[in-house]
Amino acid sequence: MGTIRVRFITVALVVSFFAVGMAAFLNYFKYKSTIGGIVKSRVLVVGRSIENSIQASLALGLQFTELATLPSQMEREKASDKLIQGIDVFDDTGQIIYSTDPARVGQRVQRSWTEAAARSKTTEWTGEGVEDYVAGISLKNNFDLTVGYLALRYSRDYVDRAASAAARQIMLAALGAFAGIALIAPLALIVVIRRFERDLQTLETAAVHLEDKGEQPALTGSAFDSIIDHLRASLRDANAALDDLRAKLDSTA
Amino acid sequence: MLEKNYLWRIYWQLAGVIMVCVVIALAVVSYFSHRVFDQELVPETEAKAATEGSSLRALVLKATSYGIPFANLYGVDKTFEEMFGENPEFSYAGITNTEGTLLYQYGREPQGALVHFHSPALLAAMRDSTVPWQVALVGTQYIVSMPIISKGTPLGVLHIGIDSVFVDRVLLEVMLDVLVVLVVSLFFTLELLNFMAGARLASGLGEFGQQVERMRNGDFTATARMRANDEIGRLLRRIDAAVDHLNVRYEFLAGEVQDKMRAANAAGREALRPAAAALEGIGKRFKFGSAQHSGATSDEMNLNRIRAPLFAFIIAEELTRSYLPTYVNQLLVNVPGVSPQVVIGLPIMLFMLIVALGQPYLGAWSERVGRRKAMLIGAAIATVGFLATALAYNLYDLLVWRSLCALGYAMVFVAAQGYVLDRTGQTNRAQGFALFIGAIMVATVCGPSIGGILADNLGFRMAFGVSAVMSFLSILAILRLPVNDVRPPQARPARPPRLREVMALIVNRRFMTLTGLAAMPAKIILTGVCFYLVPLYIVSLGNTSAMAGRMLMVYAVMMVMIVPLSARLSDASLRRDRYVSVGLIISGLSGLLLLLSDSILVLFGVVFLLGLGQALSIAAQSALVAEHCQEEIRVYGNDAVYGVYRLLERLGNALGPLMASLLVVFWGYQGAFVALSALVLFCGIAFTIATRGEQWQGEPVHP
Amino acid sequence: MATRILFVFCLVATLLVGGDRDALAQYSGSRPLRIYAITFRGMTDVERGFQDYFAARRIPVQITWRDLNRDSARMPVFLDEIRRTRPDLVYTWGTSVTLGVVGAFDDPEPQTHIADIPVVFTLVAAPVLAKIVPDLKSSRRNVTGVFHVAPTEAQIRAMASYRPFKSIGILYTPTEQNSVVVVNEVREVAKRLGFTVVARPFRMVGNQVTADGAPEMIREMKEQKVDWLYLPPDSYLGTQTQKIIIPAAMAVGLPTFASTEQLMDTGALTGLICHYYAIGQFTAYKAEQILVNKVPPSRIPIETLTRFTLQVRMDVAEQLRMPPPLPMFNYAELIVPKETVATEK
Repeated sequence: MGTIRVRFITVALVVSFFAVGMAAFLNYFKYKSTIGGIVKSRVLVVGRSIENSIQASLALGLQFTELATLPSQMEREKASDKLIQGIDVFDDTGQIIYSTDPARVGQRVQRSWTEAAARSKTTEWTGEGVEDYVAGISLKNNFDLTVGYLALRYSRDYVDRAASAAARQIMLAALGAFAGIALIAPLALIVVIRRFERDLQTLETAAVHLEDKGEQPALTGSAFDSIIDHLRASLRDANAALDDLRAKLDSTA
Repeated sequence: MLEKNYLWRIYWQLAGVIMVCVVIALAVVSYFSHRVFDQELVPETEAKAATEGSSLRALVLKATSYGIPFANLYGVDKTFEEMFGENPEFSYAGITNTEGTLLYQYGREPQGALVHFHSPALLAAMRDSTVPWQVALVGTQYIVSMPIISKGTPLGVLHIGIDSVFVDRVLLEVMLDVLVVLVVSLFFTLELLNFMAGARLASGLGEFGQQVERMRNGDFTATARMRANDEIGRLLRRIDAAVDHLNVRYEFLAGEVQDKMRAANAAGREALRPAAAALEGIGKRFKFGSAQHSGATSDEMNLNRIRAPLFAFIIAEELTRSYLPTYVNQLLVNVPGVSPQVVIGLPIMLFMLIVALGQPYLGAWSERVGRRKAMLIGAAIATVGFLATALAYNLYDLLVWRSLCALGYAMVFVAAQGYVLDRTGQTNRAQGFALFIGAIMVATVCGPSIGGILADNLGFRMAFGVSAVMSFLSILAILRLPVNDVRPPQARPARPPRLREVMALIVNRRFMTLTGLAAMPAKIILTGVCFYLVPLYIVSLGNTSAMAGRMLMVYAVMMVMIVPLSARLSDASLRRDRYVSVGLIISGLSGLLLLLSDSILVLFGVVFLLGLGQALSIAAQSALVAEHCQEEIRVYGNDAVYGVYRLLERLGNALGPLMASLLVVFWGYQGAFVALSALVLFCGIAFTIATRGEQWQGEPVHP
Repeated sequence: MATRILFVFCLVATLLVGGDRDALAQYSGSRPLRIYAITFRGMTDVERGFQDYFAARRIPVQITWRDLNRDSARMPVFLDEIRRTRPDLVYTWGTSVTLGVVGAFDDPEPQTHIADIPVVFTLVAAPVLAKIVPDLKSSRRNVTGVFHVAPTEAQIRAMASYRPFKSIGILYTPTEQNSVVVVNEVREVAKRLGFTVVARPFRMVGNQVTADGAPEMIREMKEQKVDWLYLPPDSYLGTQTQKIIIPAAMAVGLPTFASTEQLMDTGALTGLICHYYAIGQFTAYKAEQILVNKVPPSRIPIETLTRFTLQVRMDVAEQLRMPPPLPMFNYAELIVPKETVATEK
């Protein structure tokens, strides 16, 4: 009987682990994507104001490579939000033309950035830098030609730290909930299992004493009562018939 | 089977207890998550409000720099409206002058806002340009306030309100997914209980019941069976012992009577007559001796073993349903001359085609190599296929890997089917298949929804990895199947239908009425809608793969609930063609709902109706072949007719995505739904008309 | 965000991309491409944009500039030169120059007109109406080009975004076919969007159109509760706006909306325009399709910009006491009179 108990409790634990685990996982990912979204849209506000001024200059006929006021504006915007690590503006070959980090000017950006920009259905795109996240805006001119890209690098650390702090808390809650279940569920299950075990016990007892000539064990109101009844009745009938035959035989002896 | 029901009742009780515990645990997790979200998200959103506010403030300052008086700005509410459009967490925005009087506002004003705006402390702080921004809880909103100062002169104050219940809204989205997890957990629990309790318990109880029933009818023949050494086994052994003793008694008595009869003289024989009569009477009422091997060897215990591996394997494939088309879209390559929509459907079509064409041949093959071995090979191939799909480079190699998955799927499916056929006889075949179909249907409930959630959160490739893991787990479960096959003596080797049989049946009117107007349209709308249109359409509306998974779950739940019911009803009523007609027509009406509107709720209605219609028709369909194509079965044989039927039906599976994709190219998604449904509706009506005629009436076949 | 609003203005614009706009054009030919360019009144911003585009894309071109200087008698000489030197591409400025080079699509004269060298036209207000092309999707011959007037509906929507209106007034020259077409287009948009149009033609004296009575017409429009005065791309109107029309509108406090850059320059409150520089660049883009990507002109649609510039005159706005709505400060070009220096944002 013990093995059934153990097996069913194992089922309870496995299922709870799955359910609690999935719930924790869902909450964590929702948190991560929400906070990632909030931080990204914060960064994009800055990006859009830079985009506006670039568009205004281009509309007036300035060349993309001649935007003199851009670097100072980029510096100002970067200083306004300490989340932003750096701002780059690069052309459609990937070469950086303006940057808040002078060392980067002239270098090429990662190919994943231009690929992400090309794949995006809107002018906004995201990417990953070496140690930061990137929120990007594609710069299109008046006839929809992409003349360049704006990339705002912001601290990966910030989002990751927030996410892992939340992860810790959620995991603790999940572990606590699971521990709680590990205690309660077996107790609750045992109530049901015991009834099942009792039924089987009745069955076994009845079977052990099936052929006893004397008093048969009483029926305990289990689910198998009627079947035990049938069993006993049919054995009784058969034995009665054979007894009758015996009697008839004996009477002639 | 009282005992079978008894066991499942126990399972449901256990599952109920487990579910209650799980719900409590989930509630605890959700509560704590809510706290975490509140703690962390609100400050982040406040920082975002500050940034948005700065940008808006810059705009206002630009306007005033052109000479427009601060109090006479025009269109401020439009700017607020735009800001709200991009930031759903914001619920209020307002600008006051330096006295705190509201000049412009938008959104829901929180309780006590006006008092707050006039508060002297706030106004004093807002004159200071070194103060970036301040936050205060006003009513149910967090108000972020920042000063508007132009060249040292304070002009006023900008307030942005964040509704504290936005966290609730974020968590509501999680709630839906958690609900899905709950439903899936319930089904998981039942399957696991069945698996863990051991096949032996169920089959043991079954045998016990059968034995008692036999004895009630007077059959006391001894079965020379090996009994397992567990609870039920011991029980059965006791009964066996009792039966054996009875048999021994009878034999002895019968022998004694016969001896005495032989040895007695006429008078003795006269005296022995009552005994002899009694013996005769016993012989009529009871049966003793050894049991003959009845034709129906029901190997119940081993039959049950198929459920777990089948469930694990089918779920691996079902996990992919809600996001496969979107994944294909990502890997899309420009195929010249073919519209991208059709290209997206290619992997699904190829899969269905391979399964359709492979099935007739794989039956014989799995017989030759052994069912278990066939399933092992199939599951192994499928595991490799899933892994490779996760690593796919572009459309072309994806097609190769999906073909592997299809091959594996077909192998496992056919071998499992054969396994069930081998171990069931005429009497319990329906039950055996109920078990088979049951495992598959539960997998279709659990799979797509969980798969959608995994795809959204882990990404498509990882989700395929999970499928590979499930497929691998099924290998472990297949290993537990009995190595040796059981072959019913009268079984003929299965063979695929020959081409001339296919051609002959295609032009057969009765056969094609059933296949072409009922079976194929049902499959076409199933794969076209569920496998192709729903995942793509939902994502095109901007929803997630998890939402697509929920839709497919609704369909599967309808099938799980209604198929048993409709099977019972249609069997009882013997008017199976009515059920097929009604089912087809309901399926046909489903997509027409999209004419009303294209909202998500309507889409749920579509899937609901489709599930209802399919459930009604599917149960009765295959029995109709035997009912109405007796002539054809006589001519070509059962195997051939059913073989062609299944082949054409599965070809319908492949046609579904093809037709759906073509319809999308011409008429868009809504048009595709409507057109596909209209087609099925038309077929349903045609089927109804065709089956009303006199020459249709065949011989009803009882199950 | 603001740029997205400008996108909204281009609802009716034909956006069929004739080639891959984002592909980098790497010209790897051995000799520079020869372009023969005919202008009408000398070098404008269009030409500057045209040249700058090739420079920025590092495509070597050799442009032969020829100027008609408003005298169409010079055309045959240029046509001869084209036939003799056989350039890779011909560039034409304006409707009359274009018609002079390629002729009407249904009535070309093979002797005079150029049919075997690709021609790119620019600054043609209405190519279909001028019978240069039968359809904007394709000229079905060796011609393609760029037009520079924003779609009528986009202009109406721009006007409404400045201030919503129930009724607009239009003054136009009845003998200018272009203007009549535009007025009809406005009426059609009015039917769809639900506003009324009060369109008054200039008075005719014999065959001559005159601006007499225009101020009275404007006053009557104001009495009829007209909200805006729309200035269509009408040549005669263009000559009268600065002296007569705008002052009359300002006198009755009626805001004016310009449909072209020239009309805007004469003092209208606001307008949806294309900068000539951008038009030149777009024309060069079309030329690049033909010269570098080897796309035949018949496969390149005739288009205009996808994004137009909304200009606002701040002093007029102040006079009318109608400041632009706040969102516009993000994307509109704000024009201030030279005396006032705009403070930085």
